Amino acid sequence: MSAETTREFEALEAQAQTLMSVFTKAGYEAVAPAIIQPADVFLDVIGESLRARTYVFTDPDGAELCLRPDITVPTCRLHLARHVDPATPARYCYRGAAFRFQPQGADASHPREFRQAGIERFGDAEREAAEADVIAIVIKAIEKLGLKDWTLRLGDLGLFSSILDVAGISPRWKKRLDDAFLKPQSFREALKVFTSGASTTRLSVPAALLASLDSANRAASETAVATYLDDNAIELIGTRPLADITEHLIGVKESGDEKPLAADAAALIGRYTEISGPARTAGAKIAELVNGAPAGSSAALETYDRRLALLANAGIDLDRVTFSAEFGRSLEYYTGLVFEVRAKTLGPQSPLATGGRYDGLMRAAGADADVAAVGAAIHTERLLAALQGAAS
Amino acid sequence: MSRLTLAIPSKGRLMEQTTDMFARAGLIVRKVGHARGYRGEIEGLPDVDVAYVSSSEIAEALKVGSIHLGITGEDLIRENISDAVTRIGFVHKLGFGFADVVVAVPACWIDVSTVADLEDIAMPFRRRHGRWPRVATKYMNLTRRFFASKGFGDYRIVESAGATEGAPAAGTAELIVDITTTGETLRANGLRILDDGVILKSEANLLASNVAAWTPETRALCEDIGERLARAPRA
Repeated sequence: MSAETTREFEALEAQAQTLMSVFTKAGYEAVAPAIIQPADVFLDVIGESLRARTYVFTDPDGAELCLRPDITVPTCRLHLARHVDPATPARYCYRGAAFRFQPQGADASHPREFRQAGIERFGDAEREAAEADVIAIVIKAIEKLGLKDWTLRLGDLGLFSSILDVAGISPRWKKRLDDAFLKPQSFREALKVFTSGASTTRLSVPAALLASLDSANRAASETAVATYLDDNAIELIGTRPLADITEHLIGVKESGDEKPLAADAAALIGRYTEISGPARTAGAKIAELVNGAPAGSSAALETYDRRLALLANAGIDLDRVTFSAEFGRSLEYYTGLVFEVRAKTLGPQSPLATGGRYDGLMRAAGADADVAAVGAAIHTERLLAALQGAAS
Repeated sequence: MSRLTLAIPSKGRLMEQTTDMFARAGLIVRKVGHARGYRGEIEGLPDVDVAYVSSSEIAEALKVGSIHLGITGEDLIRENISDAVTRIGFVHKLGFGFADVVVAVPACWIDVSTVADLEDIAMPFRRRHGRWPRVATKYMNLTRRFFASKGFGDYRIVESAGATEGAPAAGTAELIVDITTTGETLRANGLRILDDGVILKSEANLLASNVAAWTPETRALCEDIGERLARAPRA
């Protein structure tokens, strides 16, 4: 739905004002970042996959710009422009239009122009408290407008890393599994390959050349690669120097020498990714996995339990909260907690609000280090549709 | 009686091969009026208007339905029409105009043979150069869809209007996505196709626009032309 009649426009305006009043009362400063943003930041941060969903254009001076596909990145840029130290604590709220191309065609639940109202908070040391606060405020705002039948779904990308830690695997396997986890469609296959001990590379580099490479002697390794290129009349072209090619080959060789992923670690990881259900039951299942693991540690579990306790303290009914280990894997820039608020009437493809932790985003937008960041945005047209659906 | 508009590539090998193919199917295409004009007709089919149009404009015209039928490469259809499945009907593959859309990297990247390897080098590359590897291409949509299907997102597209194969050596991109028939131009520019880097095997197609205004008469003409082409001997 776009506000093409006065009635729709006014309904959305009134709703946005209520949302903003909840946010500002909770101590979030109202800001209005620019709609037109440099395309670079978005494409670098979120990658080319989002370009396909973003309205990118060139202005008469040749600068590559875009209509903001969300308001989170613009809020980060606004924060960076204001503060020399990006870790300066701050809380912002906003309302306004964002724009996304809908490859399947735009419809009422997936418009190409939609209004978001959201909050972002930066630089909080108390991580779970900040996360619970954001979730509680969003739900409070939605309830204030009269929507009572919400459910909350949680995921946690950081928890996966913790599970890898307790599985007792090498740093190299941890990195590869962390990367593989973000690709749900190929993850099971990757687990199988990793445990089989089969080589994961199909390079046609001669074994003798690989064997001659040594991370302790980079100069000699580079010479060996250069000689191989010469002997095969392959010209070194492009921007990627010999050193980079050699470095990567050394890495390939070393991971080839490494023992395969232990079967019990793979099984543990597999069982974790299957966890899905009521948040409290899921917590018990995670505890069972962690306690039975080789390098058992309760740090990750404490984070999980503390978050639930904080949510309960903030008045969130935990019976309406579910957890899914898989959730959040393909979502843009999140690094830890992810969540979505759903309404019964709208279905799982159209969450009312989404949010989470994104500690890496500020660095991608220009800061020189990660900054603790957590936020959420409400899809206001969907909220209005859910409210009108409930009323009719 | 309503008329059917058929668009044929306006120049080069594709135009010649199309005209030959139609002739083998017993469909003699002739220009109307001036030899340098852009209108034509088919002998014996007075209700068909032939328009000579550039290949990429044929894809556009099929997309909006300003022509009923057109001949162009599948690559252009897939690239330029995001909902090709609903808008375009593939009537007949013509057996010429073969071209593969491929991912090619410098041959000296002996440490890279698959998209998974590209993924491995993307982060170290960013650390050294401060940006993701750049992909030069005019097939922005095919490139994005292909890499997304492989779960690879750590790259930037640089739009290339021409001479894409030269971009890596010139230093304006690290790798390319382009069409190739024999691979000769790629090799001459020091490039190699990734083992899993064939995005699309394209050829010339007779295509129908599903969004054009169709009548029973134009439908019958479309079927007639399609059947004659299907029965015709290949070159």
